[in-house]
Amino acid sequence: MLRNLPIGLVLVAVAAGALAQANGPASWQNDLTPIGAKDWNYDFAEHLLQRVGFGGTPEEIQALAKLTPQQAVARMVRFEGAPAANLAPFDEDAIHDPGLEPFPPSRPAVTDLAKQKGEALGIKVKPTGNRRLQPVVDEFFYWLRASALETNRVAYWWANRMVDSPRPLQEKMALFWHGHFVSNEAKVRDYRKLLAQLELFQTQGLGNFKDLTVAVAQGPAMLSFLDAGVNVKGASNENFAREIMELFTMGVGNYTEKDIREAARAFTGWNFEDLKFVVNKDQHDDGEKTFLGRTGRFDGVNVIDIIMQQPVTADFIAGKIYRYFVRQDLSPELQKKLGAVLRENKYEIKPLLEAIFLSRDFYSPASVGTRIYSPVELAVSTYKKLGLKSIPGVPDFNSVTGALGQQLFAPPTVAGWAQGQAWITPGLLLERANFVRDVLFPDIGFLPPDRYTGGGEVRRVAQRVREGMDISTATQDETKDGERAESNKNADRDEEFNTRYGSFRGSQLAIERVTPIPRETAQVNLSRTVRDAKLKTTAEVVDYFIHRFMSVPPSTDARQKLVAFLDRDLGTSDISVAQTYMEQSLRLVLHLIMSQPEYQLG
Amino acid sequence: MKNHFSFSKSSRRDLLRAGMCGVCVSAGAGLPVRVFGQAAAALAAQGNVDGKILVVLELSGGNDGLNTLVPYGDDAYYKHRPNLGIPKKEIRVIDEHFGFSGGMAGFERLYKDGKLAIVHGCGYENPSFSHFTSMAYWHTAAPNSGEEYGWVGRLADAMAPQAPPNYIVNVGARQSLAVRSRKHVPVVFDDPNKFTQEKFYEERPILESLPEHGQIDNPARRFLLDTAKSAKDASALVREAWSKYHSPIDYGIAGLDLPKVVALIDAGMPTRLYYTSYRNNAFDTHVFQGDVHKRLLTYASDAVFAFMRDLERIKRADDVVVMVFSEFGRRVPENVNLGTDHGTANLMFVVGNKVKGGHYGQVPSLTKLDAGDNLIYTTDFRRVYGTMISGWLGYRDAHSLLNGDFQTFDVFRA
Repeated sequence: MLRNLPIGLVLVAVAAGALAQANGPASWQNDLTPIGAKDWNYDFAEHLLQRVGFGGTPEEIQALAKLTPQQAVARMVRFEGAPAANLAPFDEDAIHDPGLEPFPPSRPAVTDLAKQKGEALGIKVKPTGNRRLQPVVDEFFYWLRASALETNRVAYWWANRMVDSPRPLQEKMALFWHGHFVSNEAKVRDYRKLLAQLELFQTQGLGNFKDLTVAVAQGPAMLSFLDAGVNVKGASNENFAREIMELFTMGVGNYTEKDIREAARAFTGWNFEDLKFVVNKDQHDDGEKTFLGRTGRFDGVNVIDIIMQQPVTADFIAGKIYRYFVRQDLSPELQKKLGAVLRENKYEIKPLLEAIFLSRDFYSPASVGTRIYSPVELAVSTYKKLGLKSIPGVPDFNSVTGALGQQLFAPPTVAGWAQGQAWITPGLLLERANFVRDVLFPDIGFLPPDRYTGGGEVRRVAQRVREGMDISTATQDETKDGERAESNKNADRDEEFNTRYGSFRGSQLAIERVTPIPRETAQVNLSRTVRDAKLKTTAEVVDYFIHRFMSVPPSTDARQKLVAFLDRDLGTSDISVAQTYMEQSLRLVLHLIMSQPEYQLG
Repeated sequence: MKNHFSFSKSSRRDLLRAGMCGVCVSAGAGLPVRVFGQAAAALAAQGNVDGKILVVLELSGGNDGLNTLVPYGDDAYYKHRPNLGIPKKEIRVIDEHFGFSGGMAGFERLYKDGKLAIVHGCGYENPSFSHFTSMAYWHTAAPNSGEEYGWVGRLADAMAPQAPPNYIVNVGARQSLAVRSRKHVPVVFDDPNKFTQEKFYEERPILESLPEHGQIDNPARRFLLDTAKSAKDASALVREAWSKYHSPIDYGIAGLDLPKVVALIDAGMPTRLYYTSYRNNAFDTHVFQGDVHKRLLTYASDAVFAFMRDLERIKRADDVVVMVFSEFGRRVPENVNLGTDHGTANLMFVVGNKVKGGHYGQVPSLTKLDAGDNLIYTTDFRRVYGTMISGWLGYRDAHSLLNGDFQTFDVFRA
């Protein structure tokens, strides 16, 4: 049918017929029967690529549309026929020093240690003089800042894989696991642990759920994030055991408080030394435990085994995977069926994903065009659809996704990111449109946040120190009228060290040692896109952009206004007349299209 | 707190064109809008505002109530907490039994000025130890149930069934379940400076109008279009309010989002229900909690105290009450990691000029604990909600909102 025509013409033909994206009949909802080869088309291929990865260009979609649905899904899930992924490993900066280990839990803990031992973090206390502990405090803040900055580089590296990998499901699934087996930089404070965990998600995220759970639970990022290291015999800490059951495997209501306490005992002694998993035998409680109706001298791996034997575990995780890839509302019956698929396949993830992506349900009206993009997906898929091969440095990817509520390595709580409508508030909807504007019209006053770091306070202190002020005066907070808040009084106190000065010095050292993120802007050429697609009128341009960039088109009224806008801005509806000067107007109309509320859907 | 956003003449004109058209229509007047305050007043009148405002402040993560208001007069406290128990000399003693954590100078002052009510033993039957489950119970005021809407959202539906715009404001990166409403679309924003659609001059006609659309079957699309309308109704008002707000009051290091609330109140927003939180599970202090917890409390106390002073400054302190809660307290005995695990009953605070300060409810026993070493609750937290609903906001049918009768506290001055 349309398959052999040039892509531009295909799109125009589709657009001229109906803007609405094709999807299957309503009766397909909840039906796990695989779709037939005759049902397969360009729109389904687009839907698949969007959900399995981060969308793509018409050329990429067309390549999938030419396959059978089985071939397309095998290519996405098993990488059959997909090009090899030659992706460079993360280029680490030499910023970590062995003296930093073990890194104490807080600044007071560091200074207490320094007072006791005469040194901390590999830095000795000054024998005499003013602010004897200052170098130790500087080093503490250095590592906090350096790790945070390096984590932002890791995030860029990962986002670049999302936009460029020929195996996008690897990255999409890693993003799922990152939001599932949550840990964040603010608590872990060591990019190396987070990088190791990410690499686990990338390499084993499509493998076996049980193996992955064990590997994550024994990874230093999770051990550190959930305080596993302080869970010891005779006095267990429940945080780790509780979250493993509540959030990672079974869901609340499927175990008792006693089960949590018993599981916590089984995990006692699990710890990390720097980047290594260790079991401290003398801290492990080797006694008998009764857990989920079973009794034995269980250790942590036994507990995970027993959890995996609960039918509810497969239902829970299959349901969560389905909600991530397909839609939020999932009937209990369908969830049970999906759980059965996972159980039958002994927790192998790929067969479950294939069943989902081939199912009629996945292509039903309830599923197509009903999912709200997460911020990371929104940003990456915007870049992908623009045809970019890397993430621009302007706007800053981490600032954008952070402002939109999904900064990588910074999930807000151990529950990860809430999906669906939770991504959107009135404020965030406007910010999403502002992100698009910053891509198409980069701010020429942009300041890189990895150089201008640390917030206003650090810069204020830096400025005053450069002006030759003494440290006490330089670190005073801004003068307020009347009464001062307790926290500000405390922060100014002059002791053997000055916290605000340490924060400034730490930032300065970190900036010196962490490689800057490149700051190129997006290379966009919409005029060429329009020429290549052989578009003749403003209406064709608007329809082409709508179809290329949106899964759910805006209303007829909105479309007409967009066409009228482009007519007015170009001074003609004839593209051949506007050939030489149309870039700015095309960007404006694309910004308007991407500002439609429907742009959030896919 | 300072904001450096400057407001030019032309952008003010745009603001009137952009944001206020929704207001004109809602106000039903069709008259040219002259000043911000008048438009807001017209809206306020329609929303039947008598001026009373409730601000809910959530301390997320499970605040350790025992180390917030320390029962130094009870030996059992120090027995349970040999390392974490705060000695009398480090607390701010308020009476012969209790004292606030050392950094809570603000709360101490509010208490001594008679503006802070402490409600003891707040909890519910069959407590959940999960942050997310217990928080959902508090958000919906429906423990061990699957209520879909939040209690603040349901309150708005009941008090203002016509759902005038901007009735609920939730400052935060996310919408809280507490404000989820059947009829209202809460105004949710984080940074007021960014609560705006940035646009070029020639884009205005399109971005400042909402397109027509027919029947919509896709629920996600419907949701997005409703949200876009709420954003249009509120963003210009919020931004102007924030740009005009310049307070000399010292909110301390965190400030929370309370200065934003003052800015909106001062600008005459018709909002009656504000929801804010100390975010990101901050109070979840499983390990080495001493310094961290003290700091969190100092920030929270500084912010609430400054908020009340700021309200005095704009002469609205009589109109506002703040209710502070957390999803649970913490285990009574400390753990071996110098922290505390998830617990049950906890304190709530009610702060305001019109509040009769003092202790309310029964102090839970530190010697008769439940099987898991937790406090046994003495006050159903919905009694405090009911007190806000009928006692403060004057909505009489708290019974149907809370699905039950919960005896209120006589906590407000006439």
